[in-house]
Amino acid sequence: MKTLKVLSALLCYPQPEIQAALPEMAEALAQEAVLPETERAALQALIQRLARTELMEWQEQYVATFDRGRALSLHLFEHIHGESRDRGQAMVNLLEVYRKHGFELDARELPDYLPLFLEYLAQRPTEEALELLAEIAHVITLLGARLAKRNNDYHVLFDALTALVGESEDSADIRQQAATEGPDQAIVNMDKIWEEEVVTFLGNQEGCATGGKPSTVQPVQWLPRSGATPHAARSL
Amino acid sequence: MSHFLDRLNFFKKVTDTFSGDHGIVTNEDRGWEDAYRARWQHDKVVRSTHGVNCTGSCSWKIYVKNGLVTWETQQTDYPRTRDDLPNHEPRGCPRGASYSWYLYSANRVKYPLVRGRLLKLWRAALAEKKDPVDAWASIVEDPTKASEYKTQRGLGGFVRATWEEVNPLIAAANVYTTKKYGPDRIYGFSPIPAMSMVSYAAGSRYLSLIGGACGSFYDWYCDLPPASPMVWGEQTDVPESADWYNSSFLMMWGSNVPQTRTPDAHFMTEVRYKGTKIVTVCPDYSEASKFADIWLHPKQGTDAAVAMAMGHVILREFYLDGKSEYFTEYVRTKTDFPMLVRLDQRADGNYVNGRFLRASDLADSAGQANNPDWKTLAFDEKSGHLIVPNGSIGFRWGEKDGMVGKWNLEAKESLSGAETQLRLSVNDIKDEVAPVAFPYFGSTKHPHFACTEHDAIQVRNVPVKKIKLADGSEALVATVYDLTLVQYGLDRGLGGANVAKTYDDNVPYTPAWQEKVTGVPRAQIITVARQFAENADKTHGKSMVIIGAAMNHWYHMDMNYRGVINLLMMCGCVGQSGGGWSHYVGQEKLRPQTGWTALAFALDWHRPPRHMNSTSFWYIHTSQWRHEKLTMREILSPLADLQQWQGSQIDYNVRSARMGWLPTAPHFNANPLEITKAAAAAGEEPAPHIVKKLKAGKLGFAFEDPDNPVNFPRNLFVWRSNLLGSSGKGHEYFLKYLLGTTHGVQGKDLGEEGGEKPSEVQWREAAQGKLDLLVTLDFRMSTTCMYSDIVLPTATWYEKNDLNTSDMHPFIHPLSAAVDPAWESRTDWDIFKGLAKAFSETCPGHLGVEKDIVALPTLHDTPNELAMPDVKDWKKGECDLIPGKTAPSLVVVERDYPSTYKKFTSVGPLLDKLGNGGKGIGWNTEHEVEALAALNYTVLEEGVSKGRPRIDSDIDAAEMIMMLAPETNGHVAVKAWAALSKITGRDHSHLALPKEHEKIRFRDIVAQPRKIISSPTWSGLEDEKVSYNAGYTNVHELIPWRTVTGRQQFYQDHAWMLGFGEALCAYRPPVDMKTVEPIIGQKPNGNKEIVLNFITPHQKWGIHSTYTDNLLMLTLSRGGPIIWMSEVDAKKAGIEDNDWIEAYNINGAIAARAVVSQRVPEGMSMMYHAQEKIVNTPGSEITGTRGGIHNSVTRTVLKPTHMIGSYAQQSYGFNYYGTVGCNRDEFIIVRKMAKIDWLDDEPSAEAETVSATSTPVEAH
Repeated sequence: MKTLKVLSALLCYPQPEIQAALPEMAEALAQEAVLPETERAALQALIQRLARTELMEWQEQYVATFDRGRALSLHLFEHIHGESRDRGQAMVNLLEVYRKHGFELDARELPDYLPLFLEYLAQRPTEEALELLAEIAHVITLLGARLAKRNNDYHVLFDALTALVGESEDSADIRQQAATEGPDQAIVNMDKIWEEEVVTFLGNQEGCATGGKPSTVQPVQWLPRSGATPHAARSL
Repeated sequence: MSHFLDRLNFFKKVTDTFSGDHGIVTNEDRGWEDAYRARWQHDKVVRSTHGVNCTGSCSWKIYVKNGLVTWETQQTDYPRTRDDLPNHEPRGCPRGASYSWYLYSANRVKYPLVRGRLLKLWRAALAEKKDPVDAWASIVEDPTKASEYKTQRGLGGFVRATWEEVNPLIAAANVYTTKKYGPDRIYGFSPIPAMSMVSYAAGSRYLSLIGGACGSFYDWYCDLPPASPMVWGEQTDVPESADWYNSSFLMMWGSNVPQTRTPDAHFMTEVRYKGTKIVTVCPDYSEASKFADIWLHPKQGTDAAVAMAMGHVILREFYLDGKSEYFTEYVRTKTDFPMLVRLDQRADGNYVNGRFLRASDLADSAGQANNPDWKTLAFDEKSGHLIVPNGSIGFRWGEKDGMVGKWNLEAKESLSGAETQLRLSVNDIKDEVAPVAFPYFGSTKHPHFACTEHDAIQVRNVPVKKIKLADGSEALVATVYDLTLVQYGLDRGLGGANVAKTYDDNVPYTPAWQEKVTGVPRAQIITVARQFAENADKTHGKSMVIIGAAMNHWYHMDMNYRGVINLLMMCGCVGQSGGGWSHYVGQEKLRPQTGWTALAFALDWHRPPRHMNSTSFWYIHTSQWRHEKLTMREILSPLADLQQWQGSQIDYNVRSARMGWLPTAPHFNANPLEITKAAAAAGEEPAPHIVKKLKAGKLGFAFEDPDNPVNFPRNLFVWRSNLLGSSGKGHEYFLKYLLGTTHGVQGKDLGEEGGEKPSEVQWREAAQGKLDLLVTLDFRMSTTCMYSDIVLPTATWYEKNDLNTSDMHPFIHPLSAAVDPAWESRTDWDIFKGLAKAFSETCPGHLGVEKDIVALPTLHDTPNELAMPDVKDWKKGECDLIPGKTAPSLVVVERDYPSTYKKFTSVGPLLDKLGNGGKGIGWNTEHEVEALAALNYTVLEEGVSKGRPRIDSDIDAAEMIMMLAPETNGHVAVKAWAALSKITGRDHSHLALPKEHEKIRFRDIVAQPRKIISSPTWSGLEDEKVSYNAGYTNVHELIPWRTVTGRQQFYQDHAWMLGFGEALCAYRPPVDMKTVEPIIGQKPNGNKEIVLNFITPHQKWGIHSTYTDNLLMLTLSRGGPIIWMSEVDAKKAGIEDNDWIEAYNINGAIAARAVVSQRVPEGMSMMYHAQEKIVNTPGSEITGTRGGIHNSVTRTVLKPTHMIGSYAQQSYGFNYYGTVGCNRDEFIIVRKMAKIDWLDDEPSAEAETVSATSTPVEAH
């Protein structure tokens, strides 16, 4: 799906060749027309604006937006595994997926870098791509909401991605979280996030959750889950 | 509840059970288990470690899977050391265990970053000028352009750049600065090389080749105890942690062992099971306090009073009323107690102790032809004569024929070689009893510290001998021992006032006296002192003090430290296994030191390198001196003549530098490359040319005019360091004056205030934004990176090859590359190698083969350390200006600038010609250079390096270090001991002979950590019999300490030590920094303000093996900056736990959360140092900008006694001696914040795109 490739390119660090390719991108979007009208228009408007923006200014904006801190990191596992040790293993698994489908990493990047992941999806059959994209819908919604809150027009790209896979069930909660959180919710609300659930003997049907996060961001399991084998695991 | 309804009545399940119904057979899909099986699979395990600044130096296993680091665990393969000792393994702590987080964290610096404004200017200038050097000049010499990017520092606006673009930019800045202003305007700051010595060496080698100045760090961190060189002539040589296990009385004094020495703490907890007593001295209820059998908690900053009172008890019970044969013999042979001190008469008839009696004072210099000014005397009990014993520093240098080999601690008279027994006290043979005046500082008034009512001048009776001098006059002398007894306030029946008969007398330094100062009950002091000494007497010195830098961070740190060291010397603990002084802070022993210095300072190509003491450098160049409030009158001895001791701190520093004591950077108010050209044009040699001009006043020192643009430091490299987020005392002054950007300085300078200005320094309008280029190398976006013009992404500790050693254990082990550097990062070695290349390529047309001139201070461990027996200032006409004697040495260094890269990547020829060495001994090193050529191969390309051994990679560099160092090459060790044997006249080679053929290579330590080989660079032994213990070879091999007397010194006789009242140890209360009064109540926010002392200890969740932005560790704490305070103070100010509070004074402000805890005593606050202001820090109500770091409320102050030079052990050495950046005398105003502003909603520059440029340093 070319649209995914366009979104991948727009999420990359701005380079002269990317800026030069903006008209081409606009054309591809129009031709493929997989995005709903509103999102496509917003995306086209963004492309128009970026074409007018001085490259270095765009670069400054990009670094300030994505290269500083975890809240808007474009590395997916930052939001899924965060500081957990599972992160290394998760990246290993993802690399394996790329390899299985005949793609070798040819950049000094990590496998969970969103533009990289989108480029991979763009090479896959549409149905499979959307299915995989749905796996990270929460992250996309969250990043989009955070950007929107900061009045950062990069949010348009995430809106487009969301439009492709549809709203996730808890997107309202995620938006609410993004709107109310401080500079970095993981730090500001640390006490709340790490608070142990109160154990009420006999009254608690689900048992005692250790380190249970009431956070609305549910870790996307990219590992086979116990019991049932979900579709994601199948496709991976 | 019955289970009746759950029970099946008619069926039985198909599944089977086993083990009597304890197990059930199931047929479920077990595929999910594969996830767990795969979880711990890995492709390889690589050995590395964590190198922030951690003494732990723990070896770790790094697990790699598919080219990605997945996790780390502790290594467990340390070689066993000695019988009966607990294992060293496993070593590690949670900080290190969380390190792999950094590799892929969002805070990683992934690409070279440049501030967009600067890059835009650069590209435009380059397009216009073509030549990069001209392009750089056109930017920095245009005030509008320069301020355009300088004022944006710390305000974001970075863009990514490529190495191909940034390297020429940095090179152009370096070339331009060298050409226009001089290479000594380029400065490099990187701390603690022991943690990753090749990475440190990469930058320092580059700087040393081009003539840039490398800044010291140990003194700047204030972890450097000047007391150590004063007493021993050695800096921080300490027992390894395993030696704690040999102790039977262990004190933790201001050191929080379980928290900050986590991997080693077990030796302390284990030895308790052998019956060792633990005493902790700490004002707060720290982790260490919990391990104590006795916990003394004196008021913070009054430790010297505790130590003095303990000394009082020990002297009374083991020297006067009781005796210890062991102590007596130890102090007689190993300390300056028997040495004689001259007493000078004052106008009021009383005497005052002066300098040591010298051979030169006596007729015919007492028969000593060589260095008679540097040979001290004592009375011999055997012959009854006044003699010059072996060992004083005069014997170390320049002796000839029969006098060679007398620099040792044998109990011998130096001329005849007769056996001696030196007399400790002249009381039995005294000519008279003289009234001697001693300074007393404990009555100095301070708003927050208790003082006593005793006179500032204490006259006490001392037994003395009369001696006939060379000029026929008579002089009174007393022994150091006799002076010490009275200084400690002991009545020994000689009458007179100000001495105590009992411990309850209210006389300075009795246990009763200290109660008022410290708050510790006298009975506790008496008990601890008595048991400490009793144990040492019975075990011959197995009483030990583990001491933390806490006590060293006070302005009068030397009194704290000397007070404790005196106890150890009195009890014969230094140099004895299980005893002594254990200060494990900040320097971290770089064991293969002499191999490393050659690489790090390019001694193989040029000598000498430019070294600078950073404290003076930052104090002067960040204009902190312009805000000085502490006058030197306040700290002079009450016995000093004020007329003779004029001036402020910077005045003393300027005098010190021009007399050749402390180094300078820049040296002069002219480019050294131009000075040599001018000399050549005048047909003169450079040195005499400079001397002439200095004398005529036509050339000046840069420090005399710091606000003159020709004297600015122009380029600064920071690597392996977070200078602006951690160690930068006076943070806000850095921002204002050095960087020229947004700052929080609240106070006025001396000009605005009409204060007393310095007399040696030109006062001008304050310069701001002195620095043209700040380049920081880091793998994480630290506070320093945020303020830099260029940020270069470095490899993490799992992505490079390097070496690591510590003073805590005797092993050398590596950092090795588990994976390639991620994204565009490179190892420090590769980065500086790349810069060297770009620099060389940029030179043509600007720099060729140039003559540079280095102004070198008189250095410790060189013959120059005997340069100035009496203080003489050439500028005041007291002597002639003689380089190397009364002024810095002036050494011409020829630099072939276009060959910088070739030199960087090969081993230079000076090692073959001049050999190698350190600490006053040298040896031939031809064999090792040959072996390196065979190991690393030689350079084939044409040029200066052709045929020389290569150092292309970081492993090549590591091999160079290990090949050249005695600690890792047995042959070199034997040569080094032989070289020392010549000077001491005693054969020491037996210490290394058994290991002569051991050679440790990089691949060896990758396989397993290796024990180092004993070397004369250090004073302890590493062998199968004893644990490493500092001073061991001094005591057991009779190698002198490198001091005036050759012994450990209770007494410091330099004129400045006398002037500032510190010849003998005394209690000195903290100084008044005067930073609260001008601002308290001036900026009300409706909440109550209270004033607290500001203490900055080590934390549990950052230092030493990780930083304070590691989310795992932040999660365990409060997730952002915190300040601890007591419940009492919190109540006073209406503050509750976790409230946002602000701490401020005229230096700046901090926003943090309050931790209200019973741990903290009233009147004190604690802020763990090095908490990043980029993490969860809101805006300050005082400054209106983001709340600062802990150093936002500090400003550094200097002490003249640390500027002493050309005087044996008090001579300059890099990270050995010099001014230190203390900060614990500081007070802050604390109040609850009324409004928490995250400064996140600043209006964006444009509506349609969010610009980062208007957002101050972002929290995230």
